Amino acid sequence: MGHDLTDEQYKSQVSAVWRATIIMAVLTVLEVAAALMWPEDMSRAVLNIMFVLMSIAKGYFIVAEFMHVKYEKRALTLTILGPLFFLIWFIIAFMWEGSEWLALRELWGV
Amino acid sequence: MSHVDVANPESAWYGGKSPFNVSYGKLMMWYFLLSDVFTFSALLISYGAIRMSAPEWAAPDVVFSAMPVLGEGYPLIFVTIMTFILIMSSVFVVRAVQEGHRMNKKGVMTWLAWGIVGGVAFLGCQAWEWTHLIGGLSHGHGMTISEINFGPGTEHYPIQFAFLFFVITGFHGFHVFSGVLINIWALIMTANGTFERRGHYEMIEKIGLYWHFVDLVWVFVFLAFYLL
Repeated sequence: MGHDLTDEQYKSQVSAVWRATIIMAVLTVLEVAAALMWPEDMSRAVLNIMFVLMSIAKGYFIVAEFMHVKYEKRALTLTILGPLFFLIWFIIAFMWEGSEWLALRELWGV
Repeated sequence: MSHVDVANPESAWYGGKSPFNVSYGKLMMWYFLLSDVFTFSALLISYGAIRMSAPEWAAPDVVFSAMPVLGEGYPLIFVTIMTFILIMSSVFVVRAVQEGHRMNKKGVMTWLAWGIVGGVAFLGCQAWEWTHLIGGLSHGHGMTISEINFGPGTEHYPIQFAFLFFVITGFHGFHVFSGVLINIWALIMTANGTFERRGHYEMIEKIGLYWHFVDLVWVFVFLAFYLL
Protein backbone atom coordinates (compact mmCIF):
# COMPACT_ATOMS: atom_id res chain seq x y z
CA MET A 1 0.00 0.00 0.00
CA GLY A 2 2.69 2.50 0.96
CA HIS A 3 4.47 4.44 -1.75
CA ASP A 4 2.26 2.80 -4.37
CA LEU A 5 2.11 5.96 -6.48
CA THR A 6 4.91 7.22 -8.67
CA ASP A 7 5.60 10.96 -8.60
CA GLU A 8 4.08 11.22 -12.03
CA GLN A 9 0.83 9.43 -11.05
CA TYR A 10 0.63 11.46 -7.86
CA LYS A 11 0.94 14.75 -9.73
CA SER A 12 -1.64 13.80 -12.34
CA GLN A 13 -4.12 12.61 -9.69
CA VAL A 14 -3.71 15.79 -7.66
CA SER A 15 -4.33 17.96 -10.71
CA ALA A 16 -7.31 15.78 -11.76
CA VAL A 17 -8.91 16.41 -8.38
CA TRP A 18 -8.40 20.18 -8.53
CA ARG A 19 -9.77 20.22 -12.08
CA ALA A 20 -12.90 18.39 -10.91
CA THR A 21 -13.22 20.88 -8.03
CA ILE A 22 -13.13 23.85 -10.38
CA ILE A 23 -15.71 22.29 -12.70
CA MET A 24 -18.03 21.57 -9.77
CA ALA A 25 -17.64 25.10 -8.44
CA VAL A 26 -18.46 26.56 -11.86
CA LEU A 27 -21.51 24.28 -12.18
CA THR A 28 -22.76 25.37 -8.75
CA VAL A 29 -22.36 29.05 -9.64
CA LEU A 30 -24.19 28.47 -12.94
CA GLU A 31 -27.03 26.68 -11.13
CA VAL A 32 -27.56 29.47 -8.63
CA ALA A 33 -27.22 32.16 -11.29
CA ALA A 34 -29.81 30.38 -13.45
CA ALA A 35 -32.14 29.96 -10.47
CA LEU A 36 -32.00 33.69 -9.73
CA MET A 37 -31.95 35.14 -13.25
CA TRP A 38 -34.17 32.81 -15.28
CA PRO A 39 -36.80 35.01 -17.00
CA GLU A 40 -40.41 34.51 -15.83
CA ASP A 41 -41.72 34.01 -19.37
CA MET A 42 -39.26 31.22 -20.25
CA SER A 43 -40.11 27.56 -19.74
CA ARG A 44 -39.56 26.38 -16.17
CA ALA A 45 -39.29 22.78 -17.45
CA VAL A 46 -36.15 23.62 -19.47
CA LEU A 47 -34.59 25.18 -16.38
CA ASN A 48 -35.45 22.14 -14.25
CA ILE A 49 -33.95 19.74 -16.81
CA MET A 50 -30.77 21.86 -16.77
CA PHE A 51 -30.67 21.71 -12.96
CA VAL A 52 -31.03 17.92 -12.97
CA LEU A 53 -28.33 17.46 -15.64
CA MET A 54 -25.90 19.80 -13.87
CA SER A 55 -26.48 18.00 -10.56
CA ILE A 56 -25.86 14.62 -12.19
CA ALA A 57 -22.64 16.04 -13.67
CA LYS A 58 -21.54 17.15 -10.18
CA GLY A 59 -22.46 13.73 -8.83
CA TYR A 60 -20.36 12.14 -11.57
CA PHE A 61 -17.26 14.07 -10.53
CA ILE A 62 -17.73 13.15 -6.87
CA VAL A 63 -18.22 9.44 -7.59
CA ALA A 64 -15.71 9.07 -10.44
CA GLU A 65 -12.91 11.31 -9.20
CA PHE A 66 -13.26 11.83 -5.43
CA MET A 67 -14.54 8.33 -4.68
CA HIS A 68 -12.04 6.95 -7.20
CA VAL A 69 -14.56 4.78 -9.05
CA LYS A 70 -13.06 5.83 -12.39
CA TYR A 71 -9.89 3.94 -11.45
CA GLU A 72 -11.54 0.81 -9.99
CA LYS A 73 -12.09 -2.54 -11.69
CA ARG A 74 -15.07 -2.65 -14.02
CA ALA A 75 -16.68 -5.48 -12.03
CA LEU A 76 -16.65 -3.33 -8.87
CA THR A 77 -18.06 -0.31 -10.69
CA LEU A 78 -20.93 -2.40 -12.06
CA THR A 79 -21.60 -3.92 -8.64
CA ILE A 80 -21.90 -0.47 -7.10
CA LEU A 81 -23.75 1.33 -9.88
CA GLY A 82 -25.93 -1.53 -11.20
CA PRO A 83 -28.48 -1.51 -8.36
CA LEU A 84 -29.02 2.22 -8.96
CA PHE A 85 -31.04 1.35 -12.05
CA PHE A 86 -33.88 0.45 -9.66
CA LEU A 87 -34.05 4.15 -8.88
CA ILE A 88 -35.22 4.98 -12.39
CA TRP A 89 -38.54 3.21 -11.96
CA PHE A 90 -38.71 4.29 -8.30
CA ILE A 91 -38.62 7.92 -9.43
CA ILE A 92 -41.02 7.53 -12.38
CA ALA A 93 -43.57 5.58 -10.31
CA PHE A 94 -43.67 8.06 -7.45
CA MET A 95 -43.74 11.21 -9.57
CA TRP A 96 -46.61 9.63 -11.48
CA GLU A 97 -48.36 8.71 -8.24
CA GLY A 98 -47.86 12.22 -6.87
CA SER A 99 -49.50 13.86 -9.86
CA GLU A 100 -52.40 11.37 -9.59
CA TRP A 101 -52.92 12.46 -5.97
CA LEU A 102 -53.08 16.03 -7.18
CA ALA A 103 -55.63 15.09 -9.88
CA LEU A 104 -57.77 13.33 -7.25
CA ARG A 105 -57.52 16.32 -4.90
CA GLU A 106 -58.74 18.63 -7.67
CA LEU A 107 -61.50 16.16 -8.60
CA TRP A 108 -62.79 16.03 -5.03
CA GLY A 109 -61.96 19.64 -4.21
CA VAL A 110 -59.83 18.94 -1.15
CA MET B 1 -20.72 -15.35 -14.47
CA SER B 2 -20.75 -18.50 -16.55
CA HIS B 3 -19.13 -21.78 -15.63
CA VAL B 4 -16.70 -21.42 -18.53
CA ASP B 5 -15.39 -18.09 -17.19
CA VAL B 6 -14.75 -19.49 -13.73
CA ALA B 7 -12.98 -22.57 -15.09
CA ASN B 8 -10.60 -20.39 -17.09
CA PRO B 9 -7.40 -19.97 -15.03
CA GLU B 10 -6.91 -16.54 -16.60
CA SER B 11 -10.25 -15.33 -15.19
CA ALA B 12 -10.24 -12.93 -12.26
CA TRP B 13 -12.80 -15.26 -10.65
CA TYR B 14 -10.68 -18.42 -10.85
CA GLY B 15 -9.37 -17.88 -7.35
CA GLY B 16 -6.14 -16.74 -5.74
CA LYS B 17 -6.62 -13.08 -6.59
CA SER B 18 -9.08 -10.33 -5.70
CA PRO B 19 -11.60 -9.90 -8.56
CA PHE B 20 -12.55 -6.40 -7.41
CA ASN B 21 -8.99 -5.50 -6.44
CA VAL B 22 -10.19 -3.86 -3.20
CA SER B 23 -9.92 -4.97 0.40
CA TYR B 24 -12.82 -6.49 2.36
CA GLY B 25 -13.23 -3.29 4.39
CA LYS B 26 -13.47 -1.02 1.37
CA LEU B 27 -15.98 -3.31 -0.34
CA MET B 28 -18.13 -3.36 2.80
CA MET B 29 -17.98 0.44 2.97
CA TRP B 30 -19.27 0.50 -0.61
CA TYR B 31 -22.12 -1.85 0.26
CA PHE B 32 -23.02 0.30 3.25
CA LEU B 33 -23.02 3.43 1.07
CA LEU B 34 -25.23 1.68 -1.47
CA SER B 35 -27.79 0.98 1.26
CA ASP B 36 -27.53 4.61 2.37
CA VAL B 37 -28.15 5.70 -1.24
CA PHE B 38 -31.49 3.93 -1.10
CA THR B 39 -32.36 5.49 2.27
CA PHE B 40 -31.73 9.00 0.96
CA SER B 41 -33.41 8.19 -2.36
CA ALA B 42 -36.53 7.07 -0.50
CA LEU B 43 -36.57 10.35 1.42
CA LEU B 44 -35.99 12.52 -1.66
CA ILE B 45 -38.48 10.59 -3.78
CA SER B 46 -41.12 10.96 -1.03
CA TYR B 47 -40.36 14.66 -1.22
CA GLY B 48 -40.95 14.53 -4.99
CA ALA B 49 -44.23 12.61 -4.70
CA ILE B 50 -45.61 14.91 -1.99
CA ARG B 51 -44.51 17.96 -3.92
CA MET B 52 -46.23 16.70 -7.09
CA SER B 53 -49.42 16.18 -5.09
CA ALA B 54 -49.43 19.72 -3.66
CA PRO B 55 -51.34 22.48 -5.50
CA GLU B 56 -48.75 25.03 -4.35
CA TRP B 57 -45.17 24.67 -3.15
CA ALA B 58 -42.77 26.95 -1.27
CA ALA B 59 -40.50 29.18 -3.42
CA PRO B 60 -36.83 28.63 -2.45
CA ASP B 61 -35.83 32.25 -3.07
CA VAL B 62 -38.52 33.38 -0.60
CA VAL B 63 -37.76 30.79 2.08
CA PHE B 64 -33.96 30.84 1.87
CA SER B 65 -33.13 34.52 1.51
CA ALA B 66 -31.28 35.35 4.71
CA MET B 67 -27.59 35.89 5.39
CA PRO B 68 -25.91 36.09 8.79
CA VAL B 69 -25.31 39.74 9.84
CA LEU B 70 -26.65 41.13 6.52
CA GLY B 71 -30.25 40.00 7.07
CA GLU B 72 -32.91 39.27 4.43
CA GLY B 73 -32.73 39.90 0.68
CA TYR B 74 -29.96 37.50 -0.38
CA PRO B 75 -31.78 34.57 -1.98
CA LEU B 76 -29.80 31.29 -2.14
CA ILE B 77 -26.45 32.99 -1.43
CA PHE B 78 -25.93 31.48 2.01
CA VAL B 79 -26.74 27.95 0.86
CA THR B 80 -24.34 28.36 -2.08
CA ILE B 81 -21.59 29.17 0.41
CA MET B 82 -22.58 26.05 2.39
CA THR B 83 -22.29 23.99 -0.80
CA PHE B 84 -18.80 25.35 -1.49
CA ILE B 85 -17.74 24.60 2.06
CA LEU B 86 -18.84 20.97 1.77
CA ILE B 87 -17.25 20.48 -1.67
CA MET B 88 -13.97 21.96 -0.42
CA SER B 89 -14.06 19.77 2.67
CA SER B 90 -14.48 16.74 0.40
CA VAL B 91 -11.52 17.86 -1.73
CA PHE B 92 -9.34 18.26 1.38
CA VAL B 93 -10.10 14.66 2.35
CA VAL B 94 -9.20 13.48 -1.18
CA ARG B 95 -5.86 15.21 -0.67
CA ALA B 96 -5.46 13.41 2.68
CA VAL B 97 -6.06 10.07 0.92
CA GLN B 98 -3.47 10.93 -1.75
CA GLU B 99 -0.89 11.86 0.88
CA GLY B 100 -1.70 8.58 2.63
CA HIS B 101 -0.70 6.69 -0.51
CA ARG B 102 2.69 8.36 -0.21
CA MET B 103 2.94 7.52 3.52
CA ASN B 104 3.20 11.24 4.24
CA LYS B 105 1.89 11.38 7.81
CA LYS B 106 2.18 15.15 8.11
CA GLY B 107 0.34 15.68 4.81
CA VAL B 108 -2.49 13.37 5.88
CA MET B 109 -2.87 15.24 9.17
CA THR B 110 -2.88 18.69 7.55
CA TRP B 111 -5.49 17.86 4.92
CA LEU B 112 -7.64 15.80 7.29
CA ALA B 113 -7.64 18.70 9.73
CA TRP B 114 -8.83 21.03 6.96
CA GLY B 115 -11.54 18.50 6.10
CA ILE B 116 -12.73 18.56 9.70
CA VAL B 117 -12.72 22.38 9.70
CA GLY B 118 -14.93 22.28 6.58
CA GLY B 119 -17.34 19.78 8.15
CA VAL B 120 -17.65 21.83 11.34
CA ALA B 121 -18.15 25.03 9.29
CA PHE B 122 -20.94 23.35 7.31
CA LEU B 123 -22.65 22.19 10.52
CA GLY B 124 -22.33 25.71 11.95
CA CYS B 125 -23.99 27.14 8.83
CA GLN B 126 -26.79 24.60 9.05
CA ALA B 127 -27.31 25.36 12.72
CA TRP B 128 -27.58 29.04 11.88
CA GLU B 129 -30.00 28.34 9.02
CA TRP B 130 -32.29 26.19 11.17
CA THR B 131 -32.17 28.66 14.06
CA HIS B 132 -33.02 31.50 11.73
CA LEU B 133 -35.95 29.62 10.15
CA ILE B 134 -37.39 28.44 13.48
CA GLY B 135 -36.79 31.75 15.28
CA GLY B 136 -38.12 33.74 12.30
CA LEU B 137 -41.62 32.39 12.85
CA SER B 138 -42.17 34.76 15.77
CA HIS B 139 -41.95 37.76 13.41
CA GLY B 140 -43.80 36.13 10.52
CA HIS B 141 -40.89 34.87 8.42
CA GLY B 142 -39.99 31.32 9.28
CA MET B 143 -41.09 27.75 9.78
CA THR B 144 -41.14 24.81 12.18
CA ILE B 145 -42.46 21.29 11.61
CA SER B 146 -45.94 22.47 12.65
CA GLU B 147 -46.19 25.98 11.21
CA ILE B 148 -45.01 27.80 8.10
CA ASN B 149 -45.34 31.53 7.43
CA PHE B 150 -43.26 33.72 5.12
CA GLY B 151 -45.50 36.77 5.01
CA PRO B 152 -48.12 37.87 2.45
CA GLY B 153 -48.49 35.59 -0.58
CA THR B 154 -47.26 32.52 1.27
CA GLU B 155 -50.57 31.56 2.94
CA HIS B 156 -50.83 28.36 0.92
CA TYR B 157 -47.30 27.10 1.50
CA PRO B 158 -47.84 23.49 2.57
CA ILE B 159 -46.58 22.40 5.98
CA GLN B 160 -45.18 19.26 4.30
CA PHE B 161 -42.43 21.47 2.84
CA ALA B 162 -41.24 22.43 6.30
CA PHE B 163 -41.55 18.88 7.59
CA LEU B 164 -39.58 17.37 4.69
CA PHE B 165 -36.97 20.13 4.91
CA PHE B 166 -36.19 19.50 8.56
CA VAL B 167 -36.28 15.71 8.23
CA ILE B 168 -34.07 15.48 5.14
CA THR B 169 -31.54 18.23 5.89
CA GLY B 170 -31.54 16.96 9.48
CA PHE B 171 -30.76 13.41 8.40
CA HIS B 172 -28.03 14.72 6.10
CA GLY B 173 -26.68 16.95 8.87
CA PHE B 174 -26.55 13.92 11.16
CA HIS B 175 -24.40 12.17 8.54
CA VAL B 176 -22.09 15.19 8.41
CA PHE B 177 -21.92 15.23 12.21
CA SER B 178 -20.98 11.54 12.45
CA GLY B 179 -18.50 12.05 9.58
CA VAL B 180 -16.80 14.84 11.53
CA LEU B 181 -16.53 12.58 14.60
CA ILE B 182 -15.05 9.74 12.51
CA ASN B 183 -12.60 12.16 10.86
CA ILE B 184 -11.50 13.43 14.28
CA TRP B 185 -10.93 9.83 15.38
CA ALA B 186 -8.89 9.21 12.20
CA LEU B 187 -6.83 12.36 12.84
CA ILE B 188 -5.99 11.14 16.36
CA MET B 189 -5.07 7.67 15.03
CA THR B 190 -2.87 9.27 12.36
CA ALA B 191 -1.20 11.55 14.92
CA ASN B 192 -0.27 8.68 17.22
CA GLY B 193 1.18 6.75 14.30
CA THR B 194 -1.28 3.82 14.18
CA PHE B 195 -1.58 3.84 10.39
CA GLU B 196 2.11 4.44 9.90
CA ARG B 197 2.91 1.32 11.96
CA ARG B 198 0.24 -0.60 10.04
CA GLY B 199 2.11 0.28 6.84
CA HIS B 200 -0.85 1.81 5.01
CA TYR B 201 -3.47 4.54 5.30
CA GLU B 202 -6.41 2.55 3.93
CA MET B 203 -8.57 3.62 6.87
CA ILE B 204 -8.43 7.20 5.53
CA GLU B 205 -9.68 5.90 2.17
CA LYS B 206 -12.67 4.13 3.75
CA ILE B 207 -13.55 7.14 5.86
CA GLY B 208 -13.01 9.33 2.80
CA LEU B 209 -15.57 7.30 0.83
CA TYR B 210 -18.15 8.02 3.53
CA TRP B 211 -17.22 11.70 3.59
CA HIS B 212 -17.56 12.08 -0.21
CA PHE B 213 -20.88 10.28 -0.07
CA VAL B 214 -22.15 12.95 2.33
CA ASP B 215 -21.08 15.56 -0.24
CA LEU B 216 -22.83 13.57 -3.00
CA VAL B 217 -26.10 13.50 -1.04
CA TRP B 218 -25.86 17.25 -0.52
CA VAL B 219 -25.75 17.79 -4.31
CA PHE B 220 -29.19 16.21 -4.56
CA VAL B 221 -30.60 17.77 -1.39
CA PHE B 222 -29.48 21.12 -2.83
CA LEU B 223 -31.21 20.24 -6.11
CA ALA B 224 -34.48 19.22 -4.47
CA PHE B 225 -34.88 21.99 -1.90
CA TYR B 226 -33.05 24.99 -3.31
CA LEU B 227 -33.12 24.71 -7.10
CA LEU B 228 -36.16 22.86 -8.46
